[in-house]
Amino acid sequence: MIDRAPTAEDARDLLAAEYVLGLTEPADLPQVEAFIMRDSGFAAAVASWRARLAPLDSTASPATIDDRTWTGIEAALNEEAPLAAAAPAERQAQAQSRPQAPAPSAQTVPPIVPTPAIEPRAPTVSRPSIPQPSRQGFLAGLWNSLGFWRFAGLSGAFAAMLLAAGLGYVMREANRQPVLIAVLMSEGNQAAAVVNAFADGRADLLPLVDIQVPEGKAIEIWTLWDRAVGPRSIGLIQRAGRTTLKLEGLPRPKPGQIFEMTLESASGSPTGRPTGPVLNKGEATTAL
Amino acid sequence: MTDEFDIGKAIAGCVAGDRKALRMIYDHEAPKMLGVATRLLKRRALAEEAVQDAFVLLWRHAGSFDSSKGNGRTWLYAILRHRALNILRGESRLETSEEPIAENEPSEDDSPETIVSRLSDGQKLRHCLEGLEPQRRAAIVLSYAHGLSHSELAEKLGMPLGTVKSWLRRSLISLRECMG
Repeated sequence: MIDRAPTAEDARDLLAAEYVLGLTEPADLPQVEAFIMRDSGFAAAVASWRARLAPLDSTASPATIDDRTWTGIEAALNEEAPLAAAAPAERQAQAQSRPQAPAPSAQTVPPIVPTPAIEPRAPTVSRPSIPQPSRQGFLAGLWNSLGFWRFAGLSGAFAAMLLAAGLGYVMREANRQPVLIAVLMSEGNQAAAVVNAFADGRADLLPLVDIQVPEGKAIEIWTLWDRAVGPRSIGLIQRAGRTTLKLEGLPRPKPGQIFEMTLESASGSPTGRPTGPVLNKGEATTAL
Repeated sequence: MTDEFDIGKAIAGCVAGDRKALRMIYDHEAPKMLGVATRLLKRRALAEEAVQDAFVLLWRHAGSFDSSKGNGRTWLYAILRHRALNILRGESRLETSEEPIAENEPSEDDSPETIVSRLSDGQKLRHCLEGLEPQRRAAIVLSYAHGLSHSELAEKLGMPLGTVKSWLRRSLISLRECMG
């Protein structure tokens, strides 16, 4: 059997292997997980190690699990569904003990966070510390749903792990390295989406968390490279999914350029500038 | 008997908000997941917590799983392992500081050799692990399945920490070259 000292080329792959084995020093974890986010080749190496070692999981003896665990899961999910109050039909369904799929809007909505918008808005609407309930009960519901934050501590690192855990994205992109990336963060410091800009001038956005868009609304994606020009709309999506960004006619993205996602009406911002709450925001950096 | 269970489809059900799909994954995978988590965490209560969190995370992030590209089971267990390792390593828990860790002493069942022997015969991983020296094989299996850290491995194998690290790295390179 081959037994040789690691070469420099091995070093990266060993970093991936040790991460999958759980041997990364806790102090190094943030760096390794940031590396996964930034470097799709490294993410692919992690995915390969997961696949190699996964059969070891199936050697564990199944343990008897009691229903308490399921009850706990349901409780956690219900806690995350603050909008249930706004969905009396669903409640009624539950009361009639007719188990139903919960209203999709109630589960995985990421926090609508009042981070500052790219462009300061008129004082009446700019960066509300609490979205005005009278205007948008929907936002108030989200804001009050502290259940969101129950897992907030897991989420940054978790997003990195998802990237390296069989997400098709990684494998597809492994040989198509972005030249520039921006990780868009929510206010809870949760990595929520990644913008990749490629050498051929194309760019796309990949959400890392599901975003439920309320009826009549859409997510608009903006970029700002020059304050004198102001933010430009580069995409409008009805639901979270990978999307190609429209950068035609704009200067090549460069480090420091800002990308953000705001909640707008279904046809996009009426003013051509961000008007809704900022969902996620991040700055482009050069890919490693 | 569980062959007909399509985990990719069930994850898609979760994306659509179908709790029954989540329950189906639970029914099929939770006992095994609890086994994996117990092997890592030793304590039953912590293992249950890891499983519970994994299902909540699965529900929340189901939308980012691409069934056409990845294996749903590997994805699910990656979530579980990530959660369990976080509990094992990082999270400070006041209530655990005084208690002995080994609530469930590892049984013969969980020895590295038994674990390797449970891998199916034709499996490349088994073939390649069996090609390693027993101690090296043990180091890889103990860290993956039992969550042993470098220093715990050093203690268990009676070797200096630095030696264990470099020696484990060589073993991983061999393993990768064998598996391709």
